[in-house]
Amino acid sequence: MSHLEVLLLDDEPIVGKRLKPALAKVGCEVEVFQDPVLALKRIDEKDFDVVVTDISMAEVDGMQVLEHVVAKNNRTKVIMITGFAMMSLAREAMEKGAFDFIAKPFKPDDLRLIIARAAEALGKPIDFEINDNG
Amino acid sequence: MMSQPSKANAEGPESHDSISGRHERARDFEEAKKALLARPRFSVRAQIYLGFALVFLFTIITVAGLLNSIYEVDHKVRFLETVNQYLIQIEQARRFEKNYFLYGTNLREGLDNVYAANQILEINRNQILSITGRNVYDQMLSNLKEYEALLKRIIDLEQQWGNALANTEIDHSIDVREQGQSMISFAQEMAAKERTALEKSINRARQMHIYYLLALMAIMVVNSFILARRILVRIKQYKTFAQRIASGDYTLITPMRAYRDEFTELALAVNQMVLDVEAREAVLIQSHKMRAVGTLTAGVAHELNNPINNIMITGHMFLEDYDSLDEADRKDMMQDVVNETNRAKAIIANLLDFARESGSQLAPLDVAALLTDTIALASNRLKRSRINIEFSKTEKLPRVHGDSQQLRQVFLNLILNAIDASKPGGKISVTVLPADEPHYVAIKVIDYGTGIPKHILGSIFDPFFTTKPQGKGTGLGLSMSQGIVAKHGGLIRVFSQEGQGSTFTITLPVTTFPAEIKAETHLANS
Ligand SMILES: Nc1ncnc2c1ncn2[C@@H]1O[C@H](COP(=O)(O)OP(=O)(O)OP(=O)(O)O)[C@@H](O)[C@H]1O
Ligand SMILES: [Mg+2]
Repeated sequence: MSHLEVLLLDDEPIVGKRLKPALAKVGCEVEVFQDPVLALKRIDEKDFDVVVTDISMAEVDGMQVLEHVVAKNNRTKVIMITGFAMMSLAREAMEKGAFDFIAKPFKPDDLRLIIARAAEALGKPIDFEINDNG
Repeated sequence: MMSQPSKANAEGPESHDSISGRHERARDFEEAKKALLARPRFSVRAQIYLGFALVFLFTIITVAGLLNSIYEVDHKVRFLETVNQYLIQIEQARRFEKNYFLYGTNLREGLDNVYAANQILEINRNQILSITGRNVYDQMLSNLKEYEALLKRIIDLEQQWGNALANTEIDHSIDVREQGQSMISFAQEMAAKERTALEKSINRARQMHIYYLLALMAIMVVNSFILARRILVRIKQYKTFAQRIASGDYTLITPMRAYRDEFTELALAVNQMVLDVEAREAVLIQSHKMRAVGTLTAGVAHELNNPINNIMITGHMFLEDYDSLDEADRKDMMQDVVNETNRAKAIIANLLDFARESGSQLAPLDVAALLTDTIALASNRLKRSRINIEFSKTEKLPRVHGDSQQLRQVFLNLILNAIDASKPGGKISVTVLPADEPHYVAIKVIDYGTGIPKHILGSIFDPFFTTKPQGKGTGLGLSMSQGIVAKHGGLIRVFSQEGQGSTFTITLPVTTFPAEIKAETHLANS
């Protein structure tokens, strides 16, 4: 089973610090970024299976990252991390081609579940059980 | 590293403070009232009455004087008439006397004239006495008696001696003539004297009229001048009061004169008004603040999501991996949890501290810390508009004496205005540094947005002036900010170029010289 290549972008350092091992445990190879500019550069270099990005960041926002990824490679699944009660932004992201979104605050399993679904959609299932069909 | 809010505990005794603040003003008001009413009363009405009374009194005195002089003139004229009649009789008698000596005509008719003259003196006795005095009157009477006696003697002699005139008669005739002559000149002299006196009286009456008019005019002019000055000075004073209050200086009116009058009631009413305006302004400021808080809460709630999310992820991973974690990892995770909890607390405390209602309380403030808090409040708005905020400060700035809540509100208003004016991806600079004037600090909020067109630059501080769509801006932000800054003894200035951006600069006096500041506010009171 090949590893799922994941890029995780959030300007909160703890998110990357804790989620990297959490996702690694279910078979993801995670690259963590806090700076969206560096992340975009990396995306240009490499095709990731999944990109997880926070929607609100200082210089470049998540929406731009989404557009960038979609423009480059529409095979990559993009998962947006939104704030609580930002449904309109989430809907906009979905329209622009995001795979799904997840609202802060979330449990590590919530993200694993969405990534597992994305992996399934890519035909690269990961080591995480999708119990419900929601 | 998480930054603590400058005020450690948000839940201070706020309600108590606001009450004591209002209480203090009410006490000031009562004190001012007492001082205003403690003075003796001298009303404008009293001054008007006094003026009229003075004029009336003066008129009465003058009229009495004039009546008296008219009476005097009348008296003198009558006396002169009497003297005239008397003279006519005497002259008549003398004519008979002369004819007798020349032609030997009857002398008895002359005697009749003497009687008539006597009668005139008798009848007008009081009148003559009042003018000439007793001596002169008696003299006149005795002269007349003597003349009568002389005439009678001649008549007696004539009866004894027939028509033949003796030598003795010649002696007598000399006596009679002399007597008659002296009587006439006596009376004439008296008449002449009285005539000049009469002329003097008439002259005096005439002058009295002129002097009276002049004096009356002088009194009226002086009185109306004093009265007008008193009223006009007061009106001018109240004009400056009105301007002062309009500019946001709510110093109460305190006594300035030794007496109180109708304007004292006006002063009390104005003080009451100032108190009401102040209370209403406080409500307005608070409601404007709550509006700002309203626009910020969504952002703050979102901001709060980050630490909560961090805690949630860390907590779950801690439980999930508990057994496989070594001690250092566990400690690190728990430290993260503690830090993020503090961060969440700081975010909420900052908002609540800003939002809470409180009376004006003055304290020495670290302006840089206030600005940091304010920027934190707006951080999510900034993030969402993708605006970069740059904050720079001069280290070790002196503190500013002021009300932290109100100053934060001013800073927030400027930052929110700057956000509204900036394009997404724009930049805002906030700087605090020593001002050009000594003993002042300057706070600059610079944006590179739309700028302010020249023709509206003069109106942006007016209440309710806004270019923002309805429901978005009230137009109260800057006018309120100006009021608050003025209350702190500072100034707010703007420099703007259309299309280039705007710079708002606030200067505030520092606390190092509290005595000076106090002296200044006292000056403003007097
Ligand atoms: N930094 C700025 N750049 C450009 N225009 C500004 C700036 N600050 C203020 N203005 C102009 O001044 C007007 C008045 O500002 P003010 O803060 O008093 O009210 P407002 O912002 O419109 O309403 P509110 O403060 O209640 O939201 C604004 O409508 C805007 O036209
Ligand atoms: Mg405003």
